[in-house]
Amino acid sequence: MGSSIRKAIELILTGDKELLNILATTARVSLTSSLIALLIGIPLGMLLGARRFPGRNALTVLNRTLMGMPPVVCGLLFYMLFSGVGPFRHLQLLFTVRLMIIAQVVLITPLVTCSMETFTADIALPLRETAKGLGFGPWKRFGLLVNECVYPIFSSYLLAFARAIAEVGAVSMVGGAIAWKTNVMTTAIMQYTNRGNFTLGIALGLILLTLSLLVNIVLSLMQRRLSR
Amino acid sequence: MKSSAFKKSYTGVTVLDMPAFEWCEGTVTAVIGANGSGKSTLAKVLAGIEAPDGRSRPLTGAAVGYLPQKSYAFRMSTERNIALNGSDTERMRELMAALKLDPVAKRKAKKLSGGETAKMALARILMGSYDLLILDEPTASMDMESTLAAEKLIRDCCSRTGCALVLITHSIRQAKRIADNVLFLRNGKLTEQGPAEKILSNPAKEETRRFLEFYGA
Amino acid sequence: MKKFLSLLLALVMILALCACGKAEAPLAATGGSAPKSDALVVDTCILKEADDAMINNYSLLAVNPEAPFADADGNAVDDVAINAIGAAALINWLLSEEGQELAANYGFEQYGEYLFYLKDERPVSTAEIPAATEDTGKIRLSTTTSVNDSGLLGYLLPVFEEKYGYEVEVYSAGTGKSIANAKMGNADLILVHSKKQEEAFIADGFSYVLDGMEAERLNWMYNYFVLCGPSDDPAGVKDAADVPAAFEAIADGKFPFISRGDGSGTHTKEISLWPEELGITAEAESFKDYTDWYISANAGMGACLVMAEQMHAYILTDKATFLTFVASDGVIG
Repeated sequence: MGSSIRKAIELILTGDKELLNILATTARVSLTSSLIALLIGIPLGMLLGARRFPGRNALTVLNRTLMGMPPVVCGLLFYMLFSGVGPFRHLQLLFTVRLMIIAQVVLITPLVTCSMETFTADIALPLRETAKGLGFGPWKRFGLLVNECVYPIFSSYLLAFARAIAEVGAVSMVGGAIAWKTNVMTTAIMQYTNRGNFTLGIALGLILLTLSLLVNIVLSLMQRRLSR
Repeated sequence: MKSSAFKKSYTGVTVLDMPAFEWCEGTVTAVIGANGSGKSTLAKVLAGIEAPDGRSRPLTGAAVGYLPQKSYAFRMSTERNIALNGSDTERMRELMAALKLDPVAKRKAKKLSGGETAKMALARILMGSYDLLILDEPTASMDMESTLAAEKLIRDCCSRTGCALVLITHSIRQAKRIADNVLFLRNGKLTEQGPAEKILSNPAKEETRRFLEFYGA
Repeated sequence: MKKFLSLLLALVMILALCACGKAEAPLAATGGSAPKSDALVVDTCILKEADDAMINNYSLLAVNPEAPFADADGNAVDDVAINAIGAAALINWLLSEEGQELAANYGFEQYGEYLFYLKDERPVSTAEIPAATEDTGKIRLSTTTSVNDSGLLGYLLPVFEEKYGYEVEVYSAGTGKSIANAKMGNADLILVHSKKQEEAFIADGFSYVLDGMEAERLNWMYNYFVLCGPSDDPAGVKDAADVPAAFEAIADGKFPFISRGDGSGTHTKEISLWPEELGITAEAESFKDYTDWYISANAGMGACLVMAEQMHAYILTDKATFLTFVASDGVIG
């Protein structure tokens, strides 16, 4: 471990250009994809948890199934769709950061949806009874429900971000781990491991964990402030 | 205020069969019955939270307020919870003082004890004005002192706003203290009803007498 | 809140302390007589090398824009975007005097030996190389991990990119996967090292002869695979008459052998070196009786080397990766 930690510190201090590029790509992919997943997953999860409508059960089951989709399968699917011979070839998205983000959104959104759905389903009924009993209209009830969800929205985001930043199967398939372009921390770690350079692999892993720690600290502080 | 007759069933079993009923304005009607007698179902259907069989609501055109047995504490302070239902600060101060809620005014409502939550919820519903106000065991988790204060507020509200107040309870003592009329429910059926004074001391039916004896009135 | 913050701060400080403490320890050790650091040295060593049986030929193949591309269901796709001009430019540069000289000199500075050799009868290009345009500026090169991991491309391509304004995107995977990637229309040219698979690629019509060249397959570079194993060499591979005999000795004595098992060029080569009667192929079925010594790792070269080191096993590897492995002391963490 010692030499890895030394290597990690050295890499950061010297501002290794390739490392900085990898870090920037990683941040771009995981922050964007987790944010988009949040924007889709939260309303969807709240809808599934709070309202009864035809097809709701089917949607819930579908969502839970998608949660179990192996990242590699997701990656493979997008690889086939956007390949030079695939149906979406004209978009020329294969091996781009954009497609990596799209693949991750598909992977992560079900997680956010499920976590919001579980939370909302627990509180929706008592909340509705109370608010309706007070004579509040639908918009006021909706506002109150959103207000209840602030805390779980943060934890959902942390879940989404953690999954995004740690994910390797999908991004390596659709991104191709192309240096200076689509290489992210996880794919770089894979590459170094395959080359037998475990020290550098672990050094990158440590940097990844530190990044994750920083994001978690920032979000936890925001969560605390907002949940007052 | 008149509610039409309705039935309510769950999975084919009728749990409540309620005839048309006149809820007198400016009076407190206590609904009494054992657990599972259909009291809470009556409250929910009247409040429009649950639809009766056939979906035609028994009450239309009236502003109905309803305090569920376990009222939800929203994620904000106690006083903001209460202020959700009206901005009359004078009234709010009065209610909070009467229920001794001032010490916890700034506290997060979710951190309140069971009794405090019940007092907060009562204060919150009393902030509004309704034609019919249904309170489902509002004092169940309060101590005696709070219960008496709450009962006083309930009576005051009734006479002040002239609303028809429905108090669901299984405490015969409470009914004796504040009810004008009582209504007995047993296995989802209305068994006896009339002025509180008369029925609580001299019920017409044998089963009501047994119930009263059993509950030590 | 404050408690939480200070707890976090403490955690970070502890981590930092660990880092500094541990980072300094090895430095101090090397300052003294440091007999400890010797224990880290890799035991696995090269036992057979520079043998013609283990020659490793690298070829360039331009992807044919008119190739019979087909989608996943086998339907023909005729409008696959292939940057033929860019691919030709890169190939012509790699085969030019400048490109060849650079490639031949690669590795000497870092490892004290050359990692790639030029074929005697190699194709040479004198063609004019057009500068990049908006349409031809992005070249997609699909290659094998061993080429990429050797660092050769990272050393060659910037020179080309700087000079002509192209941008080369290198996709690296095992030979099988990187050829499949090209067949799906995701590469403009391939650089691989598996003759059989290259010939199949050509036979299927996926490559074509560039102007001024004689064949589709442009084999201009080679090096040798090396057979490595524990330094005490229990199978006596070092003294074996030739490479097939060495492999036979390993199989006879059932000494552990790590196979890549991932359809890579190295894997393909290794399969061809076993005595024929064993019948080892890429199929798992073919070595099910040898699992007590033949280990199909299905992993990258580096990971396999680490396995070999720890299991005192024999292994076939490309030299560049092995040298990198030794240079980093084969360390784990």
